[in-house]
Amino acid sequence: MADLWSLIILDPMLNGLLALSGVLPREVQFGFAIIILTVVVRLLSTPLVLRQLKSTKAMQEMQPKLQELQKKYAKNKQKLQQEMMKVYKEAGVNPIGCMWPMLVQFPIWIALYQSIMKALATTPENLLDLSRHLYSWEIVNQTIPVNSHFLWLDLGQPDNTLILAILVGGTMWLQQKMTTAPSIDPRQQSTSRMMLLMMPLMFGMFTIMFPSGLPLFWLASNVIGIVTQYFVTGGWGYLKSPSSAHPALRRGR
Amino acid sequence: MKIKILACLSIFCFLALSTSGCVSSKPQGYSGVISHGGILYLGSTDGKIMAVDPLARNQGLSFPSSNGEWSFAITMPSKSILSCGSSSKPVSIYGTPVVVDGSVCIGVYGGKVLMLNPSARSQNLSFPHMRSGEWIYPRTDDVIGPIVGSPVAVNDTIYVCSSDGKVYALDITYGDEKWKSDPLDDKLWTTPVAKGEAIYVSTFDGYIYALSAKDGSLLPWVFEAETGFVSSPVLYEDTVFVGSFDSKLYAIKIGDDKLLWEFLGGNWFWAAPVVNDGIVYAGCLDGKVYALDAEKGKELWEFDAGGRIVSSPILVDDSLVVATEPGNVFVVNLKTGSGEGIKNPDDPQSGEPLIDARIQSSLSELDSIVYIRAQDNCLYAVDVAKREIKLKFPLA
Repeated sequence: MADLWSLIILDPMLNGLLALSGVLPREVQFGFAIIILTVVVRLLSTPLVLRQLKSTKAMQEMQPKLQELQKKYAKNKQKLQQEMMKVYKEAGVNPIGCMWPMLVQFPIWIALYQSIMKALATTPENLLDLSRHLYSWEIVNQTIPVNSHFLWLDLGQPDNTLILAILVGGTMWLQQKMTTAPSIDPRQQSTSRMMLLMMPLMFGMFTIMFPSGLPLFWLASNVIGIVTQYFVTGGWGYLKSPSSAHPALRRGR
Repeated sequence: MKIKILACLSIFCFLALSTSGCVSSKPQGYSGVISHGGILYLGSTDGKIMAVDPLARNQGLSFPSSNGEWSFAITMPSKSILSCGSSSKPVSIYGTPVVVDGSVCIGVYGGKVLMLNPSARSQNLSFPHMRSGEWIYPRTDDVIGPIVGSPVAVNDTIYVCSSDGKVYALDITYGDEKWKSDPLDDKLWTTPVAKGEAIYVSTFDGYIYALSAKDGSLLPWVFEAETGFVSSPVLYEDTVFVGSFDSKLYAIKIGDDKLLWEFLGGNWFWAAPVVNDGIVYAGCLDGKVYALDAEKGKELWEFDAGGRIVSSPILVDDSLVVATEPGNVFVVNLKTGSGEGIKNPDDPQSGEPLIDARIQSSLSELDSIVYIRAQDNCLYAVDVAKREIKLKFPLA
């Protein structure tokens, strides 16, 4: 299974990343290669992301309707389920459907994570392991070992300046804030608020722990996510005016 | 409820990142074995330098016996931002120790060079016991970059390469820094070689530098290749032999700008080659050992060991002993290149590896017995003549 994973997903991505590094100026090669590959993967997964955004948006818009049903059939769970399914059907939304695009993307992101870490080869064991995954392309051989310096970062080491942690946490918060719809339910509201704060904090902490090549990928991914969100939903979304962003929610009130 | 969600989320993210190989694995180390005066010196995977007497082990005496055996755990302060309070962790050891005037010198991944006196270590005196000639470099809490290669002792100086890209020259008696070179590369993971007044270093970015042994300044001759060098250089009659990242073994005459010859293997030549009587024996990650004419680079024979060769082969009597990473050991005829695998004693027909652990460290020979420290943190003694494992000694 591990061999199949390497053969089909990991090795092509890893060698692609290294070949891409090989054509970039050595001073910035690996940092830029991470950013470019993140953009490419994001572009390739755009149809899936758009589908996911569409599904999520539709789900959010039908929240007031669903809450009404929850109130109405609070004591009859079976009926509630039936009515909810009817609403989903009418809107043409599959409640689990918005999860699929995310699940399909997951292996691609894992492979990208792995490629970055393998290419960085921070320990002798890692470098030795890298030799198992390389194609005999001249450009790949000439790129090894990659130049791990990028701006102020050593991509093979955690960033001790906290700048990257702040950037990762900040962009993650911004992206989440743009997409998280305010809830009417006070319990849900409090959970959303907590998630909005905790996820960026958590990833900020991971940034301090992991070699900075990985957080650089998170940062690039977050920035692309923000830009996509800005253009897809047409503006700053829930960041600017949380209460007026969604007409459906206004109606719900 | 909130705490539960958060805990689940944190655990999921951390596991997803860790299990998917995003987080680099902890350096384990693959220190080799060296024999001196009938005692074996080696580093263990749990950060200890050990002196092992093969005779005492064969007699089944408890470790450490009074036959010059000892064990010394090297720890470094834990520097994680998230750790609370002061803690220490064992170091990783990659290099093979070197014995100088009866003392044992080693560089560790934590960025220190240590000189250990066997007598002081046997008595468990506090380290460094200066009166016994022990020292540590740097003396303060400072560290240099992680050390992967082995130290080299020439006359009154220890030379060692570090991951900060510099070569350090240290006084053998006191551990004082004589000089340190300018950074030659991002990191130097190799063992330098010394000849006359020069120290030769190969780098990941494809250079071979010659440094003055006196002051570390760069000598006029520098060799530049198109790809980086992965193995430590080996010097034989004014020729440097070194493996590169483009799966080639290079022969470079010192003083020349052009290659003497190059030989293409099926993968990297990770292990430093062995040169004897004008023949280069090079183990390759493609699983083969190549015997090449040192002058012309002509292939004399090749032996397929069937598994990646990470450790340098070793000459024992008229044979070449080769260990593969998956754990097989072969005895290869130097003239013909025909080899015989040493069978697993538990089940000779099964084809299972002789040693049930990865072999990545350099081998050592003493009285026709080859000593191997495998990644299961055990020391194995392989009797080449009888084609059997004579001893398995757990180092933990």
